Amino acid sequence: MTDSPSLSEPVLLILLSLVERPRHGYAILQDIQGMSEGRVRLSTGTLYGALARLLEDGWIERFQSEDSSRGKQAYRLTAIGRRSLQAEVSRLKQLTRVAGLRVARKES
Amino acid sequence: MLRVYRSVLTLYPAAYRRVYAEEMLAVLAEIEFDAAEQRGWSKFARRVRETSGLLAGAATEHTRQCLGYTGASIFLPGRTRMRSEFRFPKATAVLMTVVLVAVLMAIEKAKAISASIPPNSTPVGPIQPEHFSTVTTFLVILALALSAAAIGWLVTFALRRSGVQRFSAVHPGKPTV
Repeated sequence: MTDSPSLSEPVLLILLSLVERPRHGYAILQDIQGMSEGRVRLSTGTLYGALARLLEDGWIERFQSEDSSRGKQAYRLTAIGRRSLQAEVSRLKQLTRVAGLRVARKES
Repeated sequence: MLRVYRSVLTLYPAAYRRVYAEEMLAVLAEIEFDAAEQRGWSKFARRVRETSGLLAGAATEHTRQCLGYTGASIFLPGRTRMRSEFRFPKATAVLMTVVLVAVLMAIEKAKAISASIPPNSTPVGPIQPEHFSTVTTFLVILALALSAAAIGWLVTFALRRSGVQRFSAVHPGKPTV
């Protein structure tokens, strides 16, 4: 296995929200709620805490959104963030595969 | 409600506020606007979630600033199931939130007391040596230093117990499987 820590669910969902396209804060919250079918509702404090950490570590970047009349700040994934997300998805796939095999073996 | 959120945001460190406060307020305003039809328990629960999220966020940012801690978000309530290496005592998060609320209430109380004092009342002080002996001063400073050391040790102990990891410790270039 690896010594890399796995991502927390909010961070994973934020990255998944931004992998599709850049979004501003409220759009991220709405997308996460939709993606998780209403199961995960991040508070604004939690969202911005995670965004600040991701910005510091260079996983995402902040820019002035052009398509917004109010000039909102939007966020997008960086190359590092994209690679980290791919690594996490691979880890989850492997975990799900092992889980599926073990459950199937137990049932048979 | 936005006034409450704005006052809670003042608890964040100034550097953080300069970057994020207006943006967070705009998001909170959008949430309030979209949930205008909400009534009863769901409205109450949403506001409690937002307020506690802000309080926890303020505590996190102050902790990071004081200790130079740069780890992942450590107050992610109830959403840590995928983080197998993540351990943070929930009691610590609750305690820090309670302390923050107490500080907020103390500030409000102080403001109320300050407003209730008539402007023409005689100002207090300066403190004369006969009011405050050297021994008393020493004891007060000693008590304050011991309290600060105890609080610092408790926070450090809680963070050490949490086993939190830095994002930078993740090696995105390396495949994990």
